[in-house]
Amino acid sequence: MGPELASILYQFGTNAAFLLLSALGLIVILGMMNIINLAHGEFMMLGAYAATFAVHRGIPFPLAVIVAFFATALFGIVLERLVIRRFYGRELGALVTTWGISLILAQGALLLFGPYMPSIPIPGGAVSAGAFSFSVYWLILIGISIALVVALTIVYRATSFGLQARATMQNPTMARSLGIRIGRIYMLTFGLGAGLAGLSGALLAPTTSIAPFMGQQFVAPAFITVVVGGGANVIAGAVGSSTFLALIETPVSLTLGTFYGTMALLVMALLIIRVLPAGISSLGGRLKLAAAR
Amino acid sequence: MTNTDKSPTIESVAPVETLSASTTRRGLIQSAAGLAAAGTVIGRVNVVRAAADNPVKIGFIEDESGNLSIYGIQKLHAAQLAVKEINEGFTLAGGPVGSGCLGTMGLYAPTSPTVTSGPGAALNIINDGGQPSDHAIVTADTQEILIPSGEKGLLGRPVNLLSSDGQSNNTLWQQLARRMIQQDKVDVLVAGFASAEREAIRPIVDQRKQLYFYTNQYEGGVADEYTFCTGAVCEQQVIPVMQYMVEKFGPKIFTIAANYNFGQLTAAWVRSFAPVLKAKVIGEEFPPLEVSEFSSVIAKVQAAKPDWVMTLLVGQNQSNYYPQAAAAGLHLPMASTVNMAQGYEHKRFTPPSLANMHNAVNYMQEIPTKRNQQFVARFYKMFPKDPYLGQMAQNTYFSIHLYAKAVRLAGTTDQTKVRRTLEAGWAIEAPEGSVFLEPATHHASHFIRLAACNDKNQISFVREWPMIEAWWLQRLGVNLVRHPEYKQYTPAEDPFFKMFG
Repeated sequence: MGPELASILYQFGTNAAFLLLSALGLIVILGMMNIINLAHGEFMMLGAYAATFAVHRGIPFPLAVIVAFFATALFGIVLERLVIRRFYGRELGALVTTWGISLILAQGALLLFGPYMPSIPIPGGAVSAGAFSFSVYWLILIGISIALVVALTIVYRATSFGLQARATMQNPTMARSLGIRIGRIYMLTFGLGAGLAGLSGALLAPTTSIAPFMGQQFVAPAFITVVVGGGANVIAGAVGSSTFLALIETPVSLTLGTFYGTMALLVMALLIIRVLPAGISSLGGRLKLAAAR
Repeated sequence: MTNTDKSPTIESVAPVETLSASTTRRGLIQSAAGLAAAGTVIGRVNVVRAAADNPVKIGFIEDESGNLSIYGIQKLHAAQLAVKEINEGFTLAGGPVGSGCLGTMGLYAPTSPTVTSGPGAALNIINDGGQPSDHAIVTADTQEILIPSGEKGLLGRPVNLLSSDGQSNNTLWQQLARRMIQQDKVDVLVAGFASAEREAIRPIVDQRKQLYFYTNQYEGGVADEYTFCTGAVCEQQVIPVMQYMVEKFGPKIFTIAANYNFGQLTAAWVRSFAPVLKAKVIGEEFPPLEVSEFSSVIAKVQAAKPDWVMTLLVGQNQSNYYPQAAAAGLHLPMASTVNMAQGYEHKRFTPPSLANMHNAVNYMQEIPTKRNQQFVARFYKMFPKDPYLGQMAQNTYFSIHLYAKAVRLAGTTDQTKVRRTLEAGWAIEAPEGSVFLEPATHHASHFIRLAACNDKNQISFVREWPMIEAWWLQRLGVNLVRHPEYKQYTPAEDPFFKMFG
C-alpha cells in the first residue's frame, strides 16, 4: 500500500468519522424521536466543556469522556422533563424551543466561562508513511465511531429498552395500552441522545477550540448526515450517508481544494434529498420492492 | 530616542479638577459642596444638566457572540477603557505634528545625546533572537503616555459608548449600522471585525456621510472619504514577515487562507510579493469559515513539501487547524498576519501547537515596553477576568482617544469638521509606539514587531521596524483630501507586482 493511498484512506476515514460523530446524538433525537433539535451543537459543547473541566481537574481523558456522557445525559433528562415533553408532536414548536435553548446555552457559557476554555492536548502522537503523517487520535476516533454505531444498534435491536423505545416512537397510544411507560421511554431516549451528543463533543474536543459557540460547527454536518440518511433505518442511514458523503468530499477536496470539497458535499446532499426524499436508508426498501415486482 | 526623566508635556498640563462634571444625579449632589465654594452653583449645574442630556455618542458595533466573539469582546472592553479615561479627564500624548516616528513627542534631552555604538560599546543587543549585534538603535521608552486632557469628557459633555452586538452576522451588522446612524445619530462610528462586515456597512456609512473608524488589521486598499482605517495592512505585515521567513527558512511557500475577501486578498498579496523576494507560492488552500476539520488540507501541505506555511485562518472553527496539524505531525514553520495577535491561539492551545509561528504585528500584550505594560495593567484592572488584550483591541483604544483629540481641536463634534481635523497629520502615542495617521489615505503608520512563538507557546520579538507606513495607497496616488473615493483597491490593479513575476 503506497503512502498516497494510505493518505487518501485516512482522509476519507476522518471525514466520515467527523460526520458520524457530529450526527451521533441527532440520530436518536431527530431520527427516532422526530424532534428537530437545534440545540444539538450546544449539547456537544456541553460535553466538550464537561470533559475539559474533568481533564483540568486531573481526570484521565478516557474517563473524562464518560463523565461528559453522563453529565450531558442528565442535563438532557432534566431539560426533557421541564421543557421538551411539552412539545412532542409539535415539530415547529420544538424547533423554535430548542433554538431558544441553544441561544441560552451558548450565551450562558460565554457569560459564565468567558470566550474560551484552555484546550485539551490531543492524545497520541503521529505515525508517518512516506511524506505523510497521520494523527493517532483520529485513527482511534474512526474506530470509536464504528464501535459506537455498533453499540447503538445493539441497544435498539437486542435490548428490551430498545424494543420498547421503537414501539413508543412508532405508535405511542398502542405502546401505552400494552403497558409501556412511554413518558419514561421518551425521557430516557432524549437523555441518551443528549448524552451521545455530549460524548461526541467530548471526543472531538481535543481537535477543536473549546469555546461557547463551538457547537455551531457541528450542526450543519449533523443535520445533513441524518437527513440524507433518512428515517427508514436511522442508524444504517447515518452510516450510509456519512460514508457516501465522505466518499464524495475526499477526492474533490484533494484535487480541487477544501472549498470545492465542502461544495461537493452540499450539492450531493441536495441531490440525494431530491432523488430519494426519504434518504439513503429508503434505498433498501425500494430495492426489496423492485425485487418483489 | 533618548529618554528624559521628566516629560514636559505632562508637567505643563495641570489637572483641571474644578471643571469636572459628574454625570449622575448622585454625583451632582456630592459635588454640590465643592461647586458652592466656587460660587457658581446655579450656572454650573445648568451647564452640567445640559451636557448630561447631550453626550458625545460613539457608536460601536462588534461581535460579542458567535464565531467571531473571541475578538469582539476584547475590542469592546478596550473601547470601554478609552471612553472611561476620556470621561475621567485623560488623553494619550500626541498631536497634529506631522511626524510619525521616533521623536514624535518632541522631548528635550537632559544632556546632549552621545553616540555609543561600535565595537567596545556594551550594547548587548540580540539580533533576531540569535547572535549579539553592535549595530542597533536603542530606544528607551519609559514615558507614561496617558496624560491629563484638561477636561473631564469632551467639550464639556460626557462621552457615551453605544455598543451593539453584531453576532457575527453580516445582515444584522447592516441593520445595526443603519439604526446607529439614523436613529441614534452617533457622532462617530467605530465598528467592524471581518472585512465582510466592513464591506457590508461601508455603503451605508458613505450614503449617510458618517465619520467611521475601522480599527482592524485587514487586507488593505480601502480608499474612502468617510472611513479611517487605523489597523495595520498588508504592506506593513505581509511583506516584513515574508522577508523574514524567506531569509530564515527558504523560498517555497504554501498559503492556507480563509475563503472570504480578507483571506483571498491577503493571499493575493503573498502571491504578488513572492517574486520580489525570489520566493514562490507552491500551493494554496481556501477553506470556508465553516470548515473545522483539516485532514485534507494537512495532507495537501505534506504532499507539496513547502519550506514554510502562510496561515491566514480566521474564527473559532479555523483555529482548530493548529492542534490538528501538530497532532498529525506537521511541524513546518508558520507565518501569519492574524494569528496570536488577535485570537491568542498561543494562550488557548496546548504547546507546541503554535511552535515556530511568526507574525509581524503592530501590537500584542506581551510587548515589553513600559508604556505598554502600564496600558496592560490599566486594562486588566478594569477587566481582571479577560483572557487576552490583542492587536485590534489596542487599535480601537487609541482610535477612540485620537477621535477625542480631534474633536477637542476642532471644538465641535460636527462630523465634516472633525473629519477635516483628522486630516491634519496626527501622531498619537499608542501603547505599541508612535502611530501616524496619514491624511491623504486615511491609513496609519505602525510600529511593527516580528513576534515568534516557541515550542512552549511563549512569545519573543525577534525583529522590529519602528515605523512602517501604509504606503501602497500612496503609490496608487490616492488622495482623499483632494479627490474623494469610495472603493477598495486590490493588488491585481497594481501593475507594479507583475514586473517581478
